[in-house]
Amino acid sequence: MTDTTHGQTLPSRSLQDRLISLVVRFFRAEWSGALLAIIVLGLAIEVATVDTMFFRPSNLMTILNNSAAIGVVAGGMTLIILTAGIDLSVGSVMGLTAALTGYVASFWGFPPFFAIMTGLGIGLAVGAFNGTLVAYFGMPAFIVTLAGLSIWRGTGHLTTNAQATPKLPEAFDYFGRFNPFTGLRNAYRADELDGFAKTLGGFVDANWLNFFRTFQMSMLIFIAFFIVLAVIIANTRYGRYVYAIGSNEPGARQAGINTRRYTLMTYMFGSFAAAFGALLFLGRAPYAKSDYGQMWELDAIAAVVIGGTSLFGGRGSLWGTFMGVILLKLINNGLTLAQLNTFWQMVVTGGIILVAVGIDIVRQSRDPEAVRKLLAAVGTFMAFLALMTPGAVWLRAKIALAEHGAASALREAGTTLAPGHTARLMDPAAIEASQAAVSANGLTTLVLTLVVLAAGVNIFRGSSVTSLALAAIFVAMIPVLALLGYHAATPFLVLGAVVLAASAFVFAIFERARAIGADE
Amino acid sequence: MNVKFTLAGATLAALLAGTAAQAQDVIGYITKSATNAGWMMINQGAADAAEEEGVKLVSVGPSFQGDLSSQLEVFENLVAQGAKAIGVAPVDSSGIAPAVNDAMSAGIPIIAIDTGVSGAEVTSFVATDNYAVAKEQGNAAAALVADGDAVIYVTGNQAQSTGQERRNGFVEAFSAARPNSEIVEVPTEWDSAQAQEGVEAILNARDDIKMVVNAWDGGTMGAKAALENLGYGAGDVKLVGFDGASDAIVAMDEGWVHADTAQMLYQMGYQGIKAAAAAARGEEVSPRIDTGYFLVTPETSAEYKKMIGME
Repeated sequence: MTDTTHGQTLPSRSLQDRLISLVVRFFRAEWSGALLAIIVLGLAIEVATVDTMFFRPSNLMTILNNSAAIGVVAGGMTLIILTAGIDLSVGSVMGLTAALTGYVASFWGFPPFFAIMTGLGIGLAVGAFNGTLVAYFGMPAFIVTLAGLSIWRGTGHLTTNAQATPKLPEAFDYFGRFNPFTGLRNAYRADELDGFAKTLGGFVDANWLNFFRTFQMSMLIFIAFFIVLAVIIANTRYGRYVYAIGSNEPGARQAGINTRRYTLMTYMFGSFAAAFGALLFLGRAPYAKSDYGQMWELDAIAAVVIGGTSLFGGRGSLWGTFMGVILLKLINNGLTLAQLNTFWQMVVTGGIILVAVGIDIVRQSRDPEAVRKLLAAVGTFMAFLALMTPGAVWLRAKIALAEHGAASALREAGTTLAPGHTARLMDPAAIEASQAAVSANGLTTLVLTLVVLAAGVNIFRGSSVTSLALAAIFVAMIPVLALLGYHAATPFLVLGAVVLAASAFVFAIFERARAIGADE
Repeated sequence: MNVKFTLAGATLAALLAGTAAQAQDVIGYITKSATNAGWMMINQGAADAAEEEGVKLVSVGPSFQGDLSSQLEVFENLVAQGAKAIGVAPVDSSGIAPAVNDAMSAGIPIIAIDTGVSGAEVTSFVATDNYAVAKEQGNAAAALVADGDAVIYVTGNQAQSTGQERRNGFVEAFSAARPNSEIVEVPTEWDSAQAQEGVEAILNARDDIKMVVNAWDGGTMGAKAALENLGYGAGDVKLVGFDGASDAIVAMDEGWVHADTAQMLYQMGYQGIKAAAAAARGEEVSPRIDTGYFLVTPETSAEYKKMIGME
């Protein structure tokens, strides 16, 4: 494939140049930060789990299935944020419509079709209410929808008494767990097929567990929704107006765009998406209930921002949100599979979000020094994680000894000890074990602390040489730590070395990219 | 959210003023949730006890579970406005302690319901012993699988004592009875959607899971939805619940759930407010009221349903 830049054709390029222009093109996309985070995290989880749990089709499809409901809500949120607005009520609207849809279907005997129409209609009505206040009465979207967060949650609880509805009609399965291949597989198993259908049925049956079992409507609707929405945004007048309103509303109005009407439409669409998300959620949930969707507004906003869309409007993309939603769900899925401690999960989740957004900010700055700093910072973080492998053992033993000392001192002073205090007193055997842990891990901890400090200095005062030297130290540490029994540190050190080595070439890559005109 | 509480404060004042005229004792009742199925049973027990005792019950619940600051605010309002006794289900055992201390030293009896207070004395603690019941759950679950079978445990919030005690009790008893069984954990913050997604992820990754044990019945229903999503039928993977919520009992009748350690939820609210009313009258109250538990299995489910008045 030949590439035209500056109107001139560059017929034969070296492999290196082609790679550079590929990288540049990748990072030009708004969704690159989220996608990169997805790939790195996926690889990390794959390494952390035994027998490939993560990169198997059925697991990836499960992530998509469970992303569907929040994904659709985040899709609606993207349009609102593109107009420089915000909708904090989507979680409540989702809960309200889920509860009422289930309620009229279960207790009023509405046929599923009418129940669904009721739910979607309620979504549109709520959106019309919010949107009118924002667009025609000039109330701040933040305030209107913050009020809506409370109003619609309360309405949901009031109208359904906050009671769960009994089982939902099976028609709702078509929005969620319905699997188009189940019928074929059952027919094959009952031996009712012949010819091509039989071959196909056999194939489906043989690959049932690792592929077809999770091929469900949730995922299909999720993907279809984003394709349709992306086409609408890219190809219609409405889509262009959304961006125009977001980047410069007064300008858009002067250009003759009826900004009020399009703002109203956007809020209506946002609430409609929340109602549609409720349907997708009901398709996989045990029952309908008005406390569904709590905190979804925050998850949706997080997904949009991770996807590279600006909170100030006018800039961003739907596919970024798509990646953002998947990243959020992947964090839950992957960290559960890796059986990471709950409290670490919370910390790691926040860290990954920071990295994804950090990549996005650096990407926009187009500044090689910023890229180098980001890579150096990631390298330092990896060194820190490697440090914590022996360091956590050392620190825990140290703290246990110190707390034992403090509790003993309290007891000697004659204070009555609270149960929390007595739990910190140790018997002689435990004290000995702690002391042994301190002395066994002390030196390694000290050395690794120095490496972390050096890596930290390298963030701010680094060069290609120091980065490469650090990378070499990382590589040298791998066998040493492995010999000492800290195998868990290996992936961190490998990743750290790769990142640091890459940071040494950032300036060269940027220069070459300019030279071949790939950074336009 | 805070809007709701400010309003609640204002109406509290009005309520308290109005009821003083009728010379009825006012008992404050601070619940953890008004929308969770289990909590609705506790709240019902509280309301019935108040009616029986002829006291005025002012009950306030947070708009979402786990909001400590608004619970503290409501607590202080109740104390300031002269409630005779307060029944409280703390969202945070130690966070509520200073407020409880103040009230107790002001001579207002405090009854802790469901969750204890650590770091402060209370007049009485009315609850099931979560740790002891979780051990029973572990034993009942162990009886359902062979040694070496892998199981999933859906945890509750591990930052709360209820979640910790249930997990520790289960893991201890189950591991003692089935030492070679692996326990794969799905962490949640009492959210059934988290339970559903986590169970679905693990069942997809490995096909040797024989049972899903849950820290509460919202998790049980989430796990059941996960099984349905993957095309499992009733009984393919066994479910064990905790709470004895009515929807889990229905699922037991359909063959999904094989054991459920029911707390006597209604009793917890009922006896809690009974104790609060007695303390308000100046009577002696036992410092620890254990409301017990009931092991629901397909054999005992009819008896349990009769007990909680479920058809």
